[in-house]
Amino acid sequence: MNNLLPFEWIAAIRFLREGRLQSLFIISGVSIGVAVIVFMSALLTGLQANLFKRVLSSQPHITLERPKQVATPQRKVAPGQAVLSTVQKPAQRLSSVDQWQKVRDEMRNRTDILAVSPTVTGPAFVVRGDASQAISLTGIDAEQYIKIVPLPEKIVTGTFRMNNTDMLVGVQLADDLGVQLGDKLRVTTAAGGSLTLTIVGIFDFGNRGANQRTVYVALSTAQNLLNLIGGVSSIDLTAVEPFQAEVVAQSIAASTGLNALSWISNNNQLFIALNAQTLSSQVIRLFVALSVAAGIASVLVVSVVQKRKEIGILRAMGGSRGQILRVFLIQGAIVGLLGSMIGSMLATAMVSLWGTVAKNPDGTAMFVIDVNVSLYLWAALIATITGLAAAATPAVRAARLDPVDAIRG
Amino acid sequence: MDSTTSVSAVEVSSTPVLRLEGVTKSFDIGKPNETEVLHGIDLVLKKGEFAALIGPSGSGKSTLLNIIGLLDRPTRGKLFIGGQDTASLDDAALTKLRGRTIGFIFQAHYLLSAFTALENVMMPIMLERGHPDDPMRETAKALLEKVGLTKWQDNLSSNMSGGQQQRVAIARALALQPSLILADEPTGNLDTQTTQSVFELMRQVSANSGTTFLLVTHNLSLAKRCDRIIELLDGKVVVDQATAPTEVAPITQSSEVVKNDRALSIIPSKQRER
Repeated sequence: MNNLLPFEWIAAIRFLREGRLQSLFIISGVSIGVAVIVFMSALLTGLQANLFKRVLSSQPHITLERPKQVATPQRKVAPGQAVLSTVQKPAQRLSSVDQWQKVRDEMRNRTDILAVSPTVTGPAFVVRGDASQAISLTGIDAEQYIKIVPLPEKIVTGTFRMNNTDMLVGVQLADDLGVQLGDKLRVTTAAGGSLTLTIVGIFDFGNRGANQRTVYVALSTAQNLLNLIGGVSSIDLTAVEPFQAEVVAQSIAASTGLNALSWISNNNQLFIALNAQTLSSQVIRLFVALSVAAGIASVLVVSVVQKRKEIGILRAMGGSRGQILRVFLIQGAIVGLLGSMIGSMLATAMVSLWGTVAKNPDGTAMFVIDVNVSLYLWAALIATITGLAAAATPAVRAARLDPVDAIRG
Repeated sequence: MDSTTSVSAVEVSSTPVLRLEGVTKSFDIGKPNETEVLHGIDLVLKKGEFAALIGPSGSGKSTLLNIIGLLDRPTRGKLFIGGQDTASLDDAALTKLRGRTIGFIFQAHYLLSAFTALENVMMPIMLERGHPDDPMRETAKALLEKVGLTKWQDNLSSNMSGGQQQRVAIARALALQPSLILADEPTGNLDTQTTQSVFELMRQVSANSGTTFLLVTHNLSLAKRCDRIIELLDGKVVVDQATAPTEVAPITQSSEVVKNDRALSIIPSKQRER
């Protein structure tokens, strides 16, 4: 018996040790519950982080565009006069962001923006012999753009290089046109531009549409082809906080008067789906926690019944209601804490098992599950509080036992 | 009173250890089945006394013992422990007073099974101080030596014989040096020989430490070997007298006595039939 421990702790530990099988079962029950909760949390966090990484690695957080052109009726309406007019929306021509250099510098000075990259995007065709494909021609400033989309990581063959006559195509487009690295393709646009470019790299975004449509060229090349000399069609931004992109976008829109589109508003469906996923997993975790709590409570209720006489004796010997109450509360807390520790170990084992089972066809892990220390600490804290809460009812019952009834009964 | 002085050299102090004045106890108060089980009990126990409380089942022995042990409160009347009126004390204060002044020895199996003999003896002190320490461990060792169980001090109480357990219980009751020990059928589950030795141990403890004992028993031969016999019948004290040393008879096995409950009285049966 340790002199440093107070009576309540000693008694709680002894009672748990005495009811060996009971304690073993309930601690395993709590462990499994905690393992499921920790594993689910880690899995979900990993899944979502991975999903966001994939989504974010092929698109900018925020895109700034010139505001939409609107038609304004030229005729002024005199006072007292009413005109019934039909105003047709004008077709949106490809045109540059006004004073884009100034906007770019402004963006670079913002503290909530990490990277700024002007781009030129417009429709074009690639032609090889009789075959032609419609593409989305994207002119980029290579140095800046890789801070927005990590293109070099996506290159599967060739190199990431952006000279005036270089082009990067997706694996799907290369396949459709039957071209390889080093082949030349003619790119034509409706604006009348036409250039022959060399394929220096083939990329894979893991998305058929993007692999088929997107073609990267140097900024000046795109400006030439799309007849947008000196101009850019949009400015791509990376926000410091990806999940604050919408707020940042709105503030930029207000200060510049440009159209600011965040990835959050562009991927609204994804967010709705992820929210539903998070909510359903929270419901599952809540119910697992409740069943764990019910298990702890039922074991302690039985223990109070078994220990009736001993509780009566303790009270007769001068033990206070508070002391008895604490003995049972501590038992709940110990069960919760021990269970959470074993459960966390189980969860870690499950995560590493998941890593070996869930693999991409190429043998790399499908996604990295990040089990961080704070998740363990939270699990321990919540499990201990759950144990305490579950022990409350039995503990109060034990404390309220009348010593006379307890000893006699 | 001669027997008291012959057994114990401890002087009987002026303040009684326990004083009951007109104590009554009713159950189901206010209900149609309200019953009074104790009717105006007056009782005084002096320091160092070794008294037996006898009476048939239903005579109110247990109720009286619970009231004396501060486990229950009287409906009417007063209870003084060491001169202190207990009526004004709240539950927490009663618990504290109980721990400090009264030791309990129960019939059987009332040691804490998850603790060793030594730890069981330490328990009342630990409950009072909140955590174990070395001085109380020494106290407990000395007490176990007194009851002859030094060898067994580290045994879990569930691994001990009935007689050994009861000796531990006696040592435990003495842990806080209480002024009064209430022993409820302490030998009820023991064979004759063990009964004899446990009883002798209690007498010896009482003589050496001046602790007052109130022994509830069904065993008349045991009661006759106490200094004083208090007999309860239908909630009243019908006999309260010192035993004559000549009446001391050999102890018989308690179970034989229990067979005829009504025979458990020191009043001649003719007188009782009245």
